[in-house]
Amino acid sequence: MTRRVYLDHNASTPVHPDVVAEMLPYFGERFGNPSSVHGFGREARAGVDLARERIARFMKVPADEVVFTSGGTESDNMALKGLAFARGKGHLITSRIEHHAVLRAAQWLETQGFTVTYVGVDEHGMVDPDEVKRAIRPDTIGISIMHANSEAGTIQPVAAIGALARERGIPFHVDAVQTFGKLDFDVNACGIDLLSFSAHKIYGPKGVAGFWIRKGIKVQAVQHGGEHERRRRAGTENVPAIVGFGKAVEIRGRDMKAEHERLTGLRDRLWEGIRARVPDVRLNGHPTERLPGTANLSYRGVESESIVLGLDLKGIGVSAGSACTAGSVEPSYVLVAMGLPLDWAMGAVRHSLGRSTTVEDIDYVIESVEPIVRKLRAAMPVGAA
Amino acid sequence: MRYSPTLLDHFLNPRNAGLMREPDGTGVDEYEGCGDLARFFLRVRDGRVTEVRFQTYGCGPTIAAASAASEKVVDRPVEELLNLKAQEVEDAVEGLPEDRKHAADVVAGALRAAALDALRRREGEA
Repeated sequence: MTRRVYLDHNASTPVHPDVVAEMLPYFGERFGNPSSVHGFGREARAGVDLARERIARFMKVPADEVVFTSGGTESDNMALKGLAFARGKGHLITSRIEHHAVLRAAQWLETQGFTVTYVGVDEHGMVDPDEVKRAIRPDTIGISIMHANSEAGTIQPVAAIGALARERGIPFHVDAVQTFGKLDFDVNACGIDLLSFSAHKIYGPKGVAGFWIRKGIKVQAVQHGGEHERRRRAGTENVPAIVGFGKAVEIRGRDMKAEHERLTGLRDRLWEGIRARVPDVRLNGHPTERLPGTANLSYRGVESESIVLGLDLKGIGVSAGSACTAGSVEPSYVLVAMGLPLDWAMGAVRHSLGRSTTVEDIDYVIESVEPIVRKLRAAMPVGAA
Repeated sequence: MRYSPTLLDHFLNPRNAGLMREPDGTGVDEYEGCGDLARFFLRVRDGRVTEVRFQTYGCGPTIAAASAASEKVVDRPVEELLNLKAQEVEDAVEGLPEDRKHAADVVAGALRAAALDALRRREGEA
C-alpha cells in the first residue's frame, strides 16, 4: 500500500478521537434543542455552556463574550459588517493578504458607502504597523488584520497594531483562524477587541467556529431570527459540533506548546532537506516569525499543480500556491502581494504539518519531491513562465 | 480519481519530452490568459512525421496530453496534422475533466503550428 502523508493541515485537520467521543451523545441521547425548556433541551444547553466555558478559559475571557458561528467565514463577515453597520458610515483598515472572507466583505462594504484602506506587506508577508498608523483617519471605525496568513504562515505584529488601535479607541478585529490553538497569545495583552477562530483547523469538526466580542464593542447582528447567542447570532446552535469544538480547544490547551516545538523542528527539517536536494527553490514567508507547521516553497519554472499531482500520486497531500482553472491561471494573491516574481509564484507549494506528522513522513516527502521536480523541469521550456 | 490511468502514466513517464536538434518544423501554442504552453518539434521524412519532441509548461494534464499526442502523430503524413483536433488529443489520454480541456487545445494547437511550419519550410526549399 502506498504511504499516505497529509501535509495540508492549514486547509483542515482530522477530528481528534477524543473530540468525536465527546460529540457522539449529542447526535442521539442528548439531541435536544438548547432553547427548549424541558430536560432534553437542558441537556443540550449544558453541552453548549460547557464548550463556551472551555473556550473562554483557554482565551482568559468571560464566557458570555464568546459567540458560536458556522465557520471562520461567518465570523469574519460578522466582524466587518457588524462593526460597519453598528456605526453606519466610516473607514476601515485591513490588509491585502487577508482571507477572502475579510477581503470580499470589505469590498462589499465599499459598495455600501464605506471606505477601506488595504495596507500592503513586505517581502516576508509582514504588515508594517507604521503603515496601519498612517492609514488611520478621524473617521476610521475598525481595523482588521489577520494573525497569520494560511499560505505563507507569516505571523503579524498584532500586539503593535492592537496598541495603536487602543490608543485611538478604534475596534481591532483579528482573524485568528490559523493561529488559535496553535500559538499562545492573549487577546487582552494584544489589544484585540474581536477575534475569529475556527474548530476544524485544530482537530475539531467543520461547520463551527467562534467569534469573540469584547464587552462594550458594538457589533450589529448580521443574521436575524431567534434569541440565540444573546441575540448576536440567530439560529439553532450546532450542538454536537459546538461540544466538539470545546473539547478540541481544551486539548489544545494541553498539547499546544509541545506541538509548537515539535512542528517547528519538522518544518525546518523539510525545508533544509528539500533545499539540499533541489536547485532553484525558495522559502516563502518569514524565516522565523511563521506558523510552526507551515512551509511554503517555490520551485522556479515549474507549475504548482504539476508538483501537487506528482506528490498526490505518491500519497502525499499538499496544496498548490497557484490555481489553474480553465481560461486563467491565478498565482496566489498573497505571494503576489509579497512581491514574489511570477516565475516563482507559479511554482509555490504549501506544506502544512500537524499532530500526526512524523519524521518519517517528512523524510518521505523530501525523497519524493526531488525526482518529481527534476522530471517536470526536463519537460519545461526554459523561461516559459 | 479525477484523471485516467493513461493520463497519469503519461504524466509520470512523459514520452518524447525534450528538445530536438535541427527540427524540420516547430510550433508553439499558448492558452490565452493561462500560463499553459506547449512547444512541438517535428522531424519529417518523405512527408511523414518520423520523430517528435515536446516541451510544456502547465498543469499535469498538459504534460500528459503532449506526451500521449506525441506518440499518436508519429508515422502520419504531416498534412494530416494541419487538421488535428483537440478531441483526438483528449481521446489519447482517455478524457479530461471539464476545467482541463484546454490541455488538449494547447497541445493540438502547437502540433498544428509545427506541421504548418514544416510544410512552409518544405515549400521554401522547393
